[in-house]
Amino acid sequence: MVRKAPVHEPVIYTALMTRRGYMKAMNVALSVAMSVALSAALSAALSVALSAAMLSDVAAASLVLPPLVQPASNEHHDGKVIWVDLVTPDIAGAKHFYGELFGWRFDDIHGGHDDYSIASLDGIPVGGLVQRALQPGEQHQPAWLTFISVRDVAAAERSIIAHGGQTLMAPRNYANRGRQGVFADPQGAVFAVLQSSSGDPPDVLAAPGEWIWSSVMARDADQDAAFYQDVFGYEVFENPATDGATHLVLSSDQYARASLNSFPADAAKRHPHWLNFVRVTSAADSAARAVALGGRLLVAPFTDRHGGQVAVVADPAGAPFGLLEWSETADQAGGQSDGQQGAK
Amino acid sequence: MKALVTRRSMRAMILMLASTVTGCVVGGGYDSGASVDYGVGFYEPYGYEYGGWGPGYGVGPPRRGYERGDRGDGHGAPHPAYRPAAPSRSMPSLPSHSRGR
Repeated sequence: MVRKAPVHEPVIYTALMTRRGYMKAMNVALSVAMSVALSAALSAALSVALSAAMLSDVAAASLVLPPLVQPASNEHHDGKVIWVDLVTPDIAGAKHFYGELFGWRFDDIHGGHDDYSIASLDGIPVGGLVQRALQPGEQHQPAWLTFISVRDVAAAERSIIAHGGQTLMAPRNYANRGRQGVFADPQGAVFAVLQSSSGDPPDVLAAPGEWIWSSVMARDADQDAAFYQDVFGYEVFENPATDGATHLVLSSDQYARASLNSFPADAAKRHPHWLNFVRVTSAADSAARAVALGGRLLVAPFTDRHGGQVAVVADPAGAPFGLLEWSETADQAGGQSDGQQGAK
Repeated sequence: MKALVTRRSMRAMILMLASTVTGCVVGGGYDSGASVDYGVGFYEPYGYEYGGWGPGYGVGPPRRGYERGDRGDGHGAPHPAYRPAAPSRSMPSLPSHSRGR
């Protein structure tokens, strides 16, 4: 006689009461055992595959980057922006755009799974281009990643973490290049640090077509300045402001390295970030050319405090960068009067 | 019965495998680029905005000797979170000498 199980009784108990139920229970047990065994086997296989992927990741040497400085030097400039990498979903389009806009030439480097290209101007490396797929509908921002010089990446990482930043890519060694890691400041702006094994580029005035300046756009410029000062040892200078925003200058080795600016408005809706500027002879002409090449105008040219014009554009994939005029003759005139001319 | 067992095993296995793989996905707002060699494949959070820039919103480098602000020098301004450069320090600028090529 089949005992009808109350609804609340365990199914396995009820099942054991009949032969059919016994078979069913055996069936379930066998099914579970097989699935566990199969899953264990697949997990092991997956672990092996992941380990292999990690090993290939560790063997970053498969992508051999050129030294930052050739021939190598003993120069080192803490806090100086010494490299930039463009992360883009369209490396071919980026080469065309930047090649046409600034006359850059490109040398491809193949290694592992990466498409990487070194951009140079008149034989001087100016940055790297990294291809990274962006899925349709994925909302991420192609951008130029800013590399700041440090003497000791591990010490920099400890300081970054201690002062509220976070590690996005743990420091790794790259043959010929040095050691580098990617981080975010406490407000979320992404930057990298690089301990170059060949020394840092010398402190010279950038030529037109080279990177000349960097800015941090922050929600709270005061707090962000404290972070960068603690991590990189910058001197911090304040600029007179007439727009209600905070404008600071970060300096090392008695050179201005970057400006740090609070957002002009709607700070809560904006994402803090680093923005790098290429020196141009005419911001207006370069901005128009960028648009003609498929880029977008983000900030129309305007006269900045140094007396030259500044504009911000985005490349066809959306990566923003600045265009900045810098007159050497005005700089040679120098001094307070020159500065006041620049202050609008 | 054998077929039934196999079907159930496959279902359970697929579920476990899916949960294992899902557990491997890195969260957060950044693309980790986990299977690449270079590793610097960081797309930043979407949505940079540049509205509000214009005359007065100075982001460019200062000229050497450019006037400094007086914040933090003891004249009533709130003390900033950072340590301002000493008052004796003049405003720095960019290097003035070129590479000479």
